[in-house]
Amino acid sequence: MTLLDFASGPGMQWALWIFVFGVLWRLVGALFLLSRKDLTKPRQYNSVAAGLGAIISRSAPAHAFEKRILFQHVTGYVWHFALFISVLFFAPHILFFESVLGFGWPHLPNTIILITAIIATAVLITLLIRRATHPVQRFISNADDYISIFVVLIPLITGILAFAHVGGRYETLLAIHLLSVEVMLIWFPFGKLMHAIMTMPARYQAGTAFGRRGVKA
Amino acid sequence: MNVEAMSLQDFRGKLEQLSEGIPGQDMSDEERVRRAKRAFMQKLNGHRAVDLDSCLQCGMCAEACHFYEATQNERYAPVYKYRPLRRFYRREMSPMRWFYRPFTRDITAADLKEWQHLVYDACTGCGRCDMICPMGIKISAAIRVVRHGLAAAGYVPPEMRVLRNEQRDQNTLFGVGAEQLKALVEKLGAQGISVPLDREQADVMLLTTAVEVLLFPDAFAATARILNKSGADWTIRSDVFEAANVGIITGDDPTMSLAIRRIVDKAKACGVKTVLMPESGHAYQTLRWEGATEMGGALPFETLSIPEFISGEVQAGRLNLKAQSNGASVTYHDPCRLSRKGGVMQQPRDVLAALGLDVRETPSNQRENYCCGGGCGEYVLSGAADLRQKAFEIKRREFEETGADAVVTGCANCRINLLIGAENSGWETPVTSLVETVAANLAD
Repeated sequence: MTLLDFASGPGMQWALWIFVFGVLWRLVGALFLLSRKDLTKPRQYNSVAAGLGAIISRSAPAHAFEKRILFQHVTGYVWHFALFISVLFFAPHILFFESVLGFGWPHLPNTIILITAIIATAVLITLLIRRATHPVQRFISNADDYISIFVVLIPLITGILAFAHVGGRYETLLAIHLLSVEVMLIWFPFGKLMHAIMTMPARYQAGTAFGRRGVKA
Repeated sequence: MNVEAMSLQDFRGKLEQLSEGIPGQDMSDEERVRRAKRAFMQKLNGHRAVDLDSCLQCGMCAEACHFYEATQNERYAPVYKYRPLRRFYRREMSPMRWFYRPFTRDITAADLKEWQHLVYDACTGCGRCDMICPMGIKISAAIRVVRHGLAAAGYVPPEMRVLRNEQRDQNTLFGVGAEQLKALVEKLGAQGISVPLDREQADVMLLTTAVEVLLFPDAFAATARILNKSGADWTIRSDVFEAANVGIITGDDPTMSLAIRRIVDKAKACGVKTVLMPESGHAYQTLRWEGATEMGGALPFETLSIPEFISGEVQAGRLNLKAQSNGASVTYHDPCRLSRKGGVMQQPRDVLAALGLDVRETPSNQRENYCCGGGCGEYVLSGAADLRQKAFEIKRREFEETGADAVVTGCANCRINLLIGAENSGWETPVTSLVETVAANLAD
């Protein structure tokens, strides 16, 4: 079995199983910790609307905070969009998703994917530098914060190298790219990449908690 | 009306003497950690778990914190203030604890002692950080759990401990009990302001605070006049009148429950339909938004804040206000526990507008309002005076941007802190209360 065989075969399978099981384990474990029911009489509100409203409203900072967090807000959006486009609309990726999910979707031209991947990489490196230098971020950061950046950064870089056939044999580069994705998938449920899953329940519960008091979250 | 009050200077002196000669709470380090962990475990529910599992450690919350903004001290980042809870969660309760445990340092008594400064001196629990978090994490709720842990571990700051013990054991605060309230009621009676004290049955039970009795008796008199004018069937009880709850401030659950129960039991005995909270943000938050849950079932009365009550009475036509036409302007300081934590934001503005005042908004207002700097009892902590003053300066800049003639607020705690800050910095814009502003403009 070659490295590529392993990376695209059992390696990927195991990584996916750990990813799925780990995410479910952590999500269900946190959600199912008991919470005392709030017995206070709420103001007139619709809990579902308040919860869903918070999912939307927390996508942008309130006016009073805009200037203070502008950099993080903008880089956050650029980073996520560039990442999603690179991951979800690259033709070979779609073939992979099709093999797992059973269906595919249209892809974007390779040039666009290359540009978005480079943007994503550049923004992530910028955010890494900020984390290591900004007084608050540097102070509060722990290993998870850095590991989570590196396990995403490496698949991006190896992906770009494999795409550009730079730095080695294509098969080797592809195998390394796949292995780095597998490392990311395995790390996902253990570290803060998990935020991708937790965003919805966290914002939703904030929306309902504020909503019952008549406050927009 | 003008009732003789304790001067701000004397009250500040009283605050400085609060903790004199108070011994620390003796306990072994092991016992402190054990108790803190037990408190964390009791308070760490599914909501907090989702919050702790969602944090990106982006640090944006620091940008919402007045103490961080005023000092640029990274230790004041709200995310850091709940670090002991996060550590505990990761080691003991997280679904991934088997993985985190070897990599997560256990909390120690030294940590708890260190966090006393971070969660009492350097956090007023105002919850502004809750409004900035892109994940919607209720950061202030997590910090409150840390306060619970510290309270259990005997690390409540001495000034707050004195007040907690006084409320728990004597049902008084700052030495204000039935006698002092009765004396105030008598003085008001002599000025023609009737206060129906100790009625057995009434529709409305008014509460007040020791601070109001001592420092702001005019606010109490104003509330009485408003109630009388609106024709409310009301009373205030000399045996249970204290609205403040040092239990919730300190993180001491038994005291919090006890203080709530006293009010609830008395309200039930008097058959009241409404408990009217005085100008105290945390008192309103406690009874209105925690009372029923704490008592284990719905309460047989509604809890109203002063702005809600006045606004309701004006709308119902039971209270008529004189609209001024002199172009006077005011800015309203939102007490955090009335506004983003209580949902009372529009009512005080409606009332001020009904008075014909030009209501000007600070750049950050309502749900994003800056804390006064010493909210939720933080103003009693002598060691945090410098920090409070720095935070007050942010508030002062916000007020100055409005160019308003006066600041009006709906919380005596905020008012004290703003007055002290103003006194320290020689700022002369008047800081007054909503009730007094309304009572000065009651129409026939």
